[in-house]
Amino acid sequence: MKPFLNLPSSWSFLIIFMPLFGSIIWALFGKSLMKLGGDRDGKRVVAWGATGLVLAGFVVALDFALQLNVMRQAKESFDPITIFQWISLQSVNIPFELRLDSLSLTMTLVVTGIGGMIHWYAAGYMWEEREYARFFTYLNLFIAFMLLLVLGNNLAMLFIGWEGVGVCSYLLIGFWYKDHANAKAANKAFIANRVGDFGLTLGLFYLVYLIGGQAASLGIESTRWLSYDVIFQANVLEALSHFPKEIMIVSLLLFVGAMGKSAQFPLYVWLPDAMAGPTPVSALIHAATMVTSGVVLLNRMAPIFLMSPVTMSVVAGVGAITALLGALIAFGQTDIKKVLAYSTVSQLGYMFIACGVGVFSAGIFHVVTHAFFKALLFLTAGSVIYAMAHNQDMRNYGGLFKKIPITAILMTIGFLALIGTPFAFAGFWSKEAILGPAVNDVSYTLLLTNIGDYKLTVGALAGWIGFLAAFCTAFYMTRQMFLTFMGKPRWTSIEPAHHAHHHAAEALPVPAHDEHAFFMSDAEVEAFTVPEPEHHDLDSTHEPKEVPASMWLPLSILALFSTGPIWMVAYNSHFVDKWLTGSYEEHHGAIGHNALITISFLVFGGGLLAGYLVYKKGLPEKEGWDLSKWNPVRRSAMNQFSIDAVATDGTSTLGNHLGKVLAWIDVNIVDGLVNLVGVIAKAIGSLLKMPQNKGMVRHYAILMHLGAAAMIVLAAWKLGVFN
Amino acid sequence: MLETTGMGLLSVLILLPIVGAILTLIVPDQFHKAIKGGAVFFTGLTFVLSLGLLKTFEGGTFHFQFSEYVEWLPQWGISWHVGIDGLSLWMVLLTTLLTFLSTIFSVYVNKRAGAYFAMMLLLETAMLGVFCALDTVLFYTFFELSLIPMFVMIAIWGGANKKYASMKFFIYTLGASIFMLIGIVMMAKLNFEATGVWTFDLLAIQNSVANGTLWAQAMQIQPLIFWSFAVAFMVKCPMFPFHTWLPDAHTEAPTAGSILLAGVLLKMGTYGFLRFLLPLFPDAVRQFANVFVILAVIGIIYGAIVAAMQTDIKKLVAYSSVSHMGFVVLGIFSLNHIGIMGGAYQQLAHGISTGALFLMVGLLYERIHTRKFKDLGGLKAQMPWFSALFLIVMLSSVGLPGTNGFIGEFLALMGAVQSSFAGLYGLHWWMPVVAGIGVILAAVYLLKMFQKTFYGEITNPLLKRLKDLKRWEIGLVGVFVVFIFWGGLYPNTFLQPMERSLEAARLMSISGPGQGPSWSDKSHEINDKGDLVVVGTRTESGGWDKEHPGQPIMLANHFVKPEPTEYTAPQPPEAAHGGGHEEDADVEHAEEEEAH
Repeated sequence: MKPFLNLPSSWSFLIIFMPLFGSIIWALFGKSLMKLGGDRDGKRVVAWGATGLVLAGFVVALDFALQLNVMRQAKESFDPITIFQWISLQSVNIPFELRLDSLSLTMTLVVTGIGGMIHWYAAGYMWEEREYARFFTYLNLFIAFMLLLVLGNNLAMLFIGWEGVGVCSYLLIGFWYKDHANAKAANKAFIANRVGDFGLTLGLFYLVYLIGGQAASLGIESTRWLSYDVIFQANVLEALSHFPKEIMIVSLLLFVGAMGKSAQFPLYVWLPDAMAGPTPVSALIHAATMVTSGVVLLNRMAPIFLMSPVTMSVVAGVGAITALLGALIAFGQTDIKKVLAYSTVSQLGYMFIACGVGVFSAGIFHVVTHAFFKALLFLTAGSVIYAMAHNQDMRNYGGLFKKIPITAILMTIGFLALIGTPFAFAGFWSKEAILGPAVNDVSYTLLLTNIGDYKLTVGALAGWIGFLAAFCTAFYMTRQMFLTFMGKPRWTSIEPAHHAHHHAAEALPVPAHDEHAFFMSDAEVEAFTVPEPEHHDLDSTHEPKEVPASMWLPLSILALFSTGPIWMVAYNSHFVDKWLTGSYEEHHGAIGHNALITISFLVFGGGLLAGYLVYKKGLPEKEGWDLSKWNPVRRSAMNQFSIDAVATDGTSTLGNHLGKVLAWIDVNIVDGLVNLVGVIAKAIGSLLKMPQNKGMVRHYAILMHLGAAAMIVLAAWKLGVFN
Repeated sequence: MLETTGMGLLSVLILLPIVGAILTLIVPDQFHKAIKGGAVFFTGLTFVLSLGLLKTFEGGTFHFQFSEYVEWLPQWGISWHVGIDGLSLWMVLLTTLLTFLSTIFSVYVNKRAGAYFAMMLLLETAMLGVFCALDTVLFYTFFELSLIPMFVMIAIWGGANKKYASMKFFIYTLGASIFMLIGIVMMAKLNFEATGVWTFDLLAIQNSVANGTLWAQAMQIQPLIFWSFAVAFMVKCPMFPFHTWLPDAHTEAPTAGSILLAGVLLKMGTYGFLRFLLPLFPDAVRQFANVFVILAVIGIIYGAIVAAMQTDIKKLVAYSSVSHMGFVVLGIFSLNHIGIMGGAYQQLAHGISTGALFLMVGLLYERIHTRKFKDLGGLKAQMPWFSALFLIVMLSSVGLPGTNGFIGEFLALMGAVQSSFAGLYGLHWWMPVVAGIGVILAAVYLLKMFQKTFYGEITNPLLKRLKDLKRWEIGLVGVFVVFIFWGGLYPNTFLQPMERSLEAARLMSISGPGQGPSWSDKSHEINDKGDLVVVGTRTESGGWDKEHPGQPIMLANHFVKPEPTEYTAPQPPEAAHGGGHEEDADVEHAEEEEAH
């Protein structure tokens, strides 16, 4: 394809500006739009406006990608685009600047493309929502921050986007704010991310320390210490390589940041709770885009990470632990979204394995394919939830294939892609691109042991664990599919509950006086209160309904890209490597290509078969509602093997106790001493017993000034003023 | 000796509010509308006049501008010497803006309106005086004067426990600043010994510090005088463990008092660090920088944890100030260019965002007369505008990038890392690392505050009647929001005019005798790279002739050259063959080391 717009690169800010503009408009005028054009048309304007602005960004980004492709043939690239000066000091200059390269443009296409599809889907999914405009305000704002994260040309831009997407995630998890549980999940996500951000900021400050101090001797004129084009100059990298220990610390700190955002063990605990947000949010933020930004960071900073084999081993190791742990916990989940959440945790682990064994581009390859099929899975899960009266418990499902066939087929495509169905589906190719180099890794991670001629490095072990996790993935996903679509319908056995919703409007207290008209009269309260929409719980009277075309159409586009052919071509022609790194090296290792394909086949088939055998009849006895009889392993998997309990509750209990102690110390010791001084002064004062001294103020003030005067005289005398 | 100039714009600024104060006192209380209108008019006029400073302010110099010098008590060497540099420029503008806005909010005050607004206006005079004074006695006078109106405001218009809180505030801060008075006299004495002129003029004293004569004979008492100043500012700031007057004063103070207390009065402490400690006590500052940094780090963490335990929203914000002001001190005493810029910027950011928080808490309190979390909750649906504005202000306090709160914390921490990783001034690497945890904790307590106030169902039935903010109230908070985003997205507006002044203060503190800049030596200037240079010619108006870049005296030294630690990284099995050139460089380096 040839570039069709040939926009000048300075226009690239439009990609970010368009959704930002949309967000501001919906925030300020969203409600007026609904009032002005009526509820239906107002919502249409918001939905299509929001979706259109994101998709317009896709078109612009596509044009730049094609331009870059042409430029590459002439060995050219885009210069950094400075939008404006942000922080410019004598010693450090951080402009607002963008970078158009293969990594940023790939991610931009993913964010705007898949983001656009999810916006489209959300337009239908959120249709009943009263605060429709607020939802799209946050969603568009998220896209803007995410694009800043990937397009920024320095680590500070990345950090703005990084925290910005965190806030949007916070706001969207807590979108249904009436439930404190959602608010808590939102807080947890934000705080866990802040732990990661703490590492990230320290890492980049350390980098400034290492580069800034050597700038003079390296002859760096610019003070843009955080800009990629400055950090990645050959002489700067060479200079940094003389600091192996420091670089190890820097890269580990940056990795802590990536761990927070990309939900790696042990900072993954926020992600499953984040499912409290609306399902399109889970698809967009907590599966397809935001959680992959850690992988983007690692790709960006690859030259720094490559300098430290220790860090690379840590990255691969943490990735492997996360991949396996996420898959194991997924077995115990009964909530359809939670299974997918842990599956996301697990898949993110693969991406980190890729980075750890030096095939950074394969990490991005998996980011891209995963974005398609995981968004598809989440959105189809959303369709199932939509069909099942917002009940998310799979133990209530069963036999849905006949009721909602379109959703079922689309979800099956996502399922086949996720479990790595050989050749025909997307997941297979990107997993292959990761695990192949991983099991053969000898040049990036540390050696564990020699098994015959085979060198088992940390990366290789991570690769083997990855295969094990792939088996688990096929197993638990088969479980999910069977529980949802196969067997007999199980919701039919739920007795309809009779809610008595009609309690009389309670009389509100009337404030004593209201001279400033702060409060509403009874009539105003009535006009203000909007009746809650009627909500039917899932019970035997329920009839599942297929979603409208506006919701399954975007899904079919995602489904198309979840199938294999495009990715097979990409894999076999080494397109991903060539596009992202500009070069391709043939990997030769101890485990050959055919052996790898065989292993993949076995892993895939084994998991599928195991799942089929256990769940072919639907819900086994042991997975019923009686949790006491539930297999202890399952139960402990459901509780995340108590990791969350230790990490979150432990920290908060500890923090609470510490806080109580400190608050006590503050009142009784630090302040107690102050009051003690007051008491002593008072005692002295009453000893002096000045009869006219009735007011405390005068009492103290006189004492104070007498003392002061005495001290001044004393000091002046000491200094010899009177000599 | 300075020439008498007569009174000018700064004097008008400082004295105008007093005129207003007298007028509001004269008018009987039953005309409270006239009083309120008059107070808003006077603070508004002061604000507009202070904007006039921006018009001719020259950002390219560290010297004082708009200087006015009138002899006051010549026999004692005391003069009315005022002037502003980049640092005080923003403090003056912050003062006039916050006073104006909090006066507008104060239309809700009905009790003894005349006295109330007189105190507000008197306080404004005192605050402006502090930031403009260039005579140490004049500074001290205003510094103490600021106590009285705030004391009266808490004592009369305060909450239930106002007597205790006002008394504690007054005695604590007065007691601490008495020491400064001793220090001021001693500095004048030392200057007299060095130069033979008896004066309290800050520029004259700083000049003899800069050329080394002042401390030459009195090195051993430098720490003593240093601490006499330092304690006064540490209590004002407030730094751990001198902070306990703050939560009491804040909880009891009326809203406008809280806004000015957090927004401006606390900054007198950090302003004092930059205006007095760094320039006047170079050796002691370098020697004790680590004490300040450690106390700042403790304050950051301690303030944050204690804030998280509060059940009263205003007390929570008060403790958050202890934590946030810790970043200011951390930045300043990292004695690094980035750090000082960050610290000074954080002062402004904290003034705006905490001022806005107190304002919003006040708006809520005016309505429901409670600040306890147990009486709040579920306001998001009830008051959408209020909650949206509160969210923005809260996120600015959390330090979200794109808001002003981020810039200050980010730069202060970055600067602290530069100094402490290099091991300068007795700082250690763990100090900024621990301080960074404060950024995590800020999210903990502020999100808790937001959740308890806005999320969930309404439990307090009175809240179900609440209307959203009035239009003018939205506008009032809107001004803060504009500055929150302006400060976060284009901080250069605020950073660049104060850069030279702050770099000068830093150079004064880290240079040896006779090397650093002097405020009174107008041939010295700092160029745009941060080098200290001698400027050939100066223009008539005192501006810097840009045609002549000048001879460098001291080159910019913003960074320290890092030294690699001795360490050989473990290598993967085939690193030497595989991998990119980075590893190769790494390996070569390791081999080099082995060869040595």
